[in-house]
Amino acid sequence: MRIFEPHVHMFSRVTDDYERMAEAGVRAVLEPAFWLGQARTTVGTFVDYFDTLLGWERHRSEQFGVWHFCTMGLNPREANDPRVNDAVMEVLPRYLEKDSVLGVGEIGLDDQTKTEEKYYAAQVELARKHDLPILVHTPHRDKKRGFERCIDILKDLAFPMARVLLDHGNEETIKITRDLGCVSGFSIYPHTKMDCERMVKIVLEHGVENMVINSAADWGVSDPLRVPKTVALLRRANVAETTIEKLVWHNPIDFFAQSGRLKKSDLEHAPGKSVLETFEGNSVLRGQDPARFETARE
Amino acid sequence: MLDSIPELCLDVAPADRAWLEEGAARAAREGSVAIASLLPALPRRIGRRALGSDVAAVGSARVDLRAWRACDGAARLLLRDADDAAILDLFKHGDMEERTMLLRAASTRPLSPATVSLLGEVQRSNVQPHYEALVCDNDLLARASGAVAGFGQAEASRLVLKAAFLGLPMHRMLGVERLANPELSRMLQDLATEREAAGRQVWPDTLAMMARAPVPGTAARALGDLEHGADDRRAAAIAALALLNREDLMPFLRERLPREPKPQLRAALKQQTGV
Repeated sequence: MRIFEPHVHMFSRVTDDYERMAEAGVRAVLEPAFWLGQARTTVGTFVDYFDTLLGWERHRSEQFGVWHFCTMGLNPREANDPRVNDAVMEVLPRYLEKDSVLGVGEIGLDDQTKTEEKYYAAQVELARKHDLPILVHTPHRDKKRGFERCIDILKDLAFPMARVLLDHGNEETIKITRDLGCVSGFSIYPHTKMDCERMVKIVLEHGVENMVINSAADWGVSDPLRVPKTVALLRRANVAETTIEKLVWHNPIDFFAQSGRLKKSDLEHAPGKSVLETFEGNSVLRGQDPARFETARE
Repeated sequence: MLDSIPELCLDVAPADRAWLEEGAARAAREGSVAIASLLPALPRRIGRRALGSDVAAVGSARVDLRAWRACDGAARLLLRDADDAAILDLFKHGDMEERTMLLRAASTRPLSPATVSLLGEVQRSNVQPHYEALVCDNDLLARASGAVAGFGQAEASRLVLKAAFLGLPMHRMLGVERLANPELSRMLQDLATEREAAGRQVWPDTLAMMARAPVPGTAARALGDLEHGADDRRAAAIAALALLNREDLMPFLRERLPREPKPQLRAALKQQTGV
């Protein structure tokens, strides 16, 4: 089963993870820009992080046969920090033009402050301007109310719901989002947020229309194989292959394809292979031995 | 070829071709602000079709067109009038592909302080496509060494050493033979020894590079490889011994000649030994 993992922070993972993910069927990852576990105090550290998502991390990922995309944004937690918020907003437009940037995110609410709302709304407008979908982080505390607030703000701004992915959902929020026309994301974690077994129940009850699942793996206790593990449990629950494929492949791709920068057909082959053989007829190696190329990498 | 939009856009949709024509005009008019939003879309809109099959002169540079893709050529057009500050700004804010296109385009620009900065960037980078875009399949290293402030023999040698380290053949740096010097040979030889101890090797043509400025051990290396089981290694040894051109080594070449199974290598041995 090919998997498009629509929310994982590979920046904080090791190469073993890439290897295991590729083996488990993960063909592409989307890495939303987020906070780094501790406060950043200057815009420069954001810029370097954004550049890593577009450059080194992408390169690293493709070495293991996994396509890498990202979303860019000022995360809600640091939106509260006057040392960085305006400065990050100033550099964002340039990044939103990049080819591998498929959306604006993670944006949304965390502590649900007025300041968070201000930068959330401003970034929704940026998404409109750059014709991109948005990936919305919803609060972990007071979630139901935060979910509703995230949605209300989008309604006030008349942002099209089909271009919204509301992430970190659970059994309660699916009732709110089901009929909105947005995509609901479920972050499957070892201990918190959502687990594989509960996710199977949600699929059995609600189906997979407008639904995506992700691992949201980062530097905390998390598991980048949670999507393939959920696929295994869905099979055990006799969910049809076509339904599972819709959940982990077609749904996330169709959502991010709204950026105009992602084509399903481009993901038919894994990256890396094209580098070792030929790229659109142009042999990158030009007479070099692929085996030698492999061993030369350090 | 590289300066012609119709030739760059052979299989490009008319709308995308018009977009590039308008973009090139905007880039000339508005500079890096316009280029910053045009550059990321080039691979998507203009594509990655290979541009040629041989080495061509581009201004004062020589480039191997097999390494150039349509989007690289289009980037070169957009960057035609960009100054050093714009080039460095676009590099700094570029993603993987933008940097690759920009570096390939920069290999054909007149030498300047920006050339030196970019050479420094790829020397530090671990992203091989960026190293290759600036340094391989063109004669930039050979042209720049000693010709622009801040980029002398030592800097050029470190970049050649990095190519060997990355497992790249010397011949992809056009004119690299001009950069031969004993310090470079010593570094290449040390790398080769270290690799061999680990059961790996450097590209065979690295031996010829050492033979252009031999150091203690170079002749012995070439003589040893004269008996190597791999054809490409023996070929490299014969080429290196030709460069060393030492009368005292001729008996070894003569001794090999009757036992050499490859006709092409036998011919090379005959030519060298005058048999």
